[in-house]
This record gives sequence, C-alpha cells and structure tokens, in this order.
Amino acid sequence: MKGSFLWRNRVGLMGGALIVFSLYLMTAGVRHGDRIAAPARGMLEVLRPVQSGTADFGQGIRSVYHDYLNLVHVRQENERLLTELAQVRADQARMAELEVENRHLTELLELRDALGVDAIAANVIGSDATGLSHTLILGQGSASGLKAGMAVLSNRGVVGRIIATSPHASRVLLIDDHNSALDGFDQRSRARGIVAGVVDDGIIMKYVDRSEDLKPGDTIVTSGLDGIFPRGLLVGTVRGVHREGPGLFLTVQVDPAVDFRSLEQVLVVTQQMPQMTADQKG
Amino acid sequence: MRLSILFGFLTLVSLAIETAVPYWFPLRMLVPNLIVILAVDLGLRHHGAIPIALAFAMGYATDAFAGTILGLNAMLITVIYLLAYEVSSRLMVTTALVGSIMVFAGVLLSTIGGLVLNSGFAALSDAGPLFPHFAAEAAISAIIAPVIFAFLSGIKRITGLPVGPARE
Repeated sequence: MKGSFLWRNRVGLMGGALIVFSLYLMTAGVRHGDRIAAPARGMLEVLRPVQSGTADFGQGIRSVYHDYLNLVHVRQENERLLTELAQVRADQARMAELEVENRHLTELLELRDALGVDAIAANVIGSDATGLSHTLILGQGSASGLKAGMAVLSNRGVVGRIIATSPHASRVLLIDDHNSALDGFDQRSRARGIVAGVVDDGIIMKYVDRSEDLKPGDTIVTSGLDGIFPRGLLVGTVRGVHREGPGLFLTVQVDPAVDFRSLEQVLVVTQQMPQMTADQKG
Repeated sequence: MRLSILFGFLTLVSLAIETAVPYWFPLRMLVPNLIVILAVDLGLRHHGAIPIALAFAMGYATDAFAGTILGLNAMLITVIYLLAYEVSSRLMVTTALVGSIMVFAGVLLSTIGGLVLNSGFAALSDAGPLFPHFAAEAAISAIIAPVIFAFLSGIKRITGLPVGPARE
C-alpha cells in the first residue's frame, strides 16, 4: 500500500530487479535464437516495415543529394560531353564523307586503269547558275592540266566535256544539254547515231537509220569517232524507239547512265584521243 | 497505458532512425542517441515502476538491433533511467540544461559501459582513438536533447500525460 517501504522505494527496487535480470540475460549465454529472446525477434519483425520505409526514404534523399546537389558538376560534365559529342558527330560525318569520296576515287582510278588513258580526278563544286543549260563546275582548271574539249567521265559512264577553263576551275557541258552531241552506237545492233541532249530534259539518239534494229533496253556506248570520248564508254540505255512519220530516221529516247545531280568526283581524260575513222570502228 | 503506448511508439521510431540513417548517410557520429534521450526524459519527469519498466523495455528493444549480447542495453538504459530519477528527486528544478547534462552523461555511460561489458576493461586502452567519437556523439545528443524534450512535452500535453516531474 502507499507509504510502505515497498511503495516508497518501488523505483529503486524495480530498477534493481531489472538490472539483476539484465545481468542474468547477459551472463546466462542467452542467444537471439532462444525462447527468452522471442520479444527481441518480435521487435525485428515489427520494425521491419518501418525500416523499409525509412530506407526507401533515405535512398530517395540520397538520390536527391546525388542528383541535384551535385548538379553543378553534372552540368559542367554534361556541357563538356555535349561539346565532345558534337565534335565526334562532326568527325563521324566527315569520316563517312571521306569514305564515300574514297570509294568514288577508287572507282575512278579503276576506270582510268581500265581505259589505259591519262586522266585526273576532279571535284564537282557547282552547277549551272541559270538552269537553262546543263553544266557543271569543277574545282580544277588549267593549272591542273585541264583544257577545253577534254572528256569528263564517271565510274558509271559519260558525263560530258570541258567547254571552258580558268586556272583553278572548269566548266563541263553535260551530255543531256541541248548543245551537246556525241557519236554513239547500239552495242547490240551496232546501229550508229548522234546522242544529243534535248531542251526539255533527257537525251535522244538521232540520225539513226530507219532500218536499224533498236529495242528498249539496248545499251548505247561511245564510238570514239568524235575524237573526244574513248570508245566503248557507257552513255545510257534505250528507253523507247519511235518510227512515226515519213522521215528517214528513228527517234531513240535514251536514259543516261549517269545521275548528273549526284556527281561529286569525276575523271577528266587529259590524253588526246585519236579520232577513229568509220572503218576503224569495231 | 498512454505513457507506454507513447514511449513504445517513439522507441520504434528512434530505432528506425538510428538503424536507417547511418546506413544511408555517412553521419553515424551526427545521429543522436534517441533512446538515451527518451530514457532521461522518463527518469526526469516520470517516476514509478511502469516508467522504469519502460526504460528496461527500450533497452531490450535496442538489444534486438545492436550487438550480440541480449540484456546489455537493457541494463544500461535502466541504469541511465535510475540516474536521471535520482537527479530529478534531489534537485528542486529540472531544466533543459539538467536534461542535457544527463543526456551527455548517459550517452557516455552507454557507449563506454557497453564497450567495457562487451570486451572487458582491457578494451578501454585499445579504444582510445574512439573516445573523441564517443564524446562527439554525447555532445550532439546533449545539444539536440532540449528540442526532443520540448517535442515530448508537446505530445504529452496533447495526450493528457503529466509534463512536469512527479515528486514523491
């Protein structure tokens, strides 16, 4: 009851008893797996959800710390990497271009070797300013040995001929220009004609005898008779043959072998071509 | 009953903080010993058999998450409660300063006492470099203690528990 010795000293007595009990727990070799430690194991289970939540929260805080409080360094690093990436991309694009250019030049070199003529490669740097004519501008001129009248080729076929030069530039008249004309023949039927450009785009082969046998799909090549283009170079493919009207000649529409809009490098034949006679054609 | 529920809940929260925060942040030294602070508050302001049993239970709960010897923290926290109880019984007024001093002493007792009971007195000489850390932890706990005491007072007012120390 209140006021008794036990009541007045309940805290001390209780404390003493608990301390003794604690000493018993410590000295009796109680392990966490024993029955008496069940409340402690229960504590682990009870606190687990709280600790998981705290851990998630702590992880979130740490993420915030790492992601946002260090943002200054991240931003600097990001800017540096972006600059580096832009440089790498530019280098990559340049590499790709160099690879394409290398391939083109290799093909032109093979063409030159196959032709067995003197020739130099030239870069296409521009096209006709007005669009009325079909011409190209090359980045090499008389200083590189180019002259008016020289044949210009690509790995796919005939391109045109040089019509004007300056020391470091040249103009090329394409074969699909209405002022252009070259001597060619059908590789299958050997029918000869003049390949010329037309005003409204494209090329035709004219002055082909009406009796000649030409069909769509036939290959037109240079004859070498004009003294400009080497013999046997691909000009184009027959697209259509028209025999209408009372004239003596056929009108043969030809698809050029070369896509003039996609030219980047060309081969200029610097060697003077011998003008073959009709008897010398094969 | 309300006291048991309140301090039981606060014990769980304190243990959650003391086990989680040092894991996620390299701030072990900066984490105050919340269990000791709760025990000192119990000893200063709540006298009786139930409060001392609560202190024992808080220490026992700490044993569930600390060390390998069951009963070690239970005994130390009980002793800390008894010391705070005795100080509160002897002094006319128990202010926040008194509480801070008790917390400082209590944390030192729990750390050094735990070291001795765990490894023997010989460990004291080997643990010399750790004493600054012990002192820092005790100081940080003592500095934060008044804030927690004020927080506890507010909760006790809300729950209708006595705020001031009970004099016998």
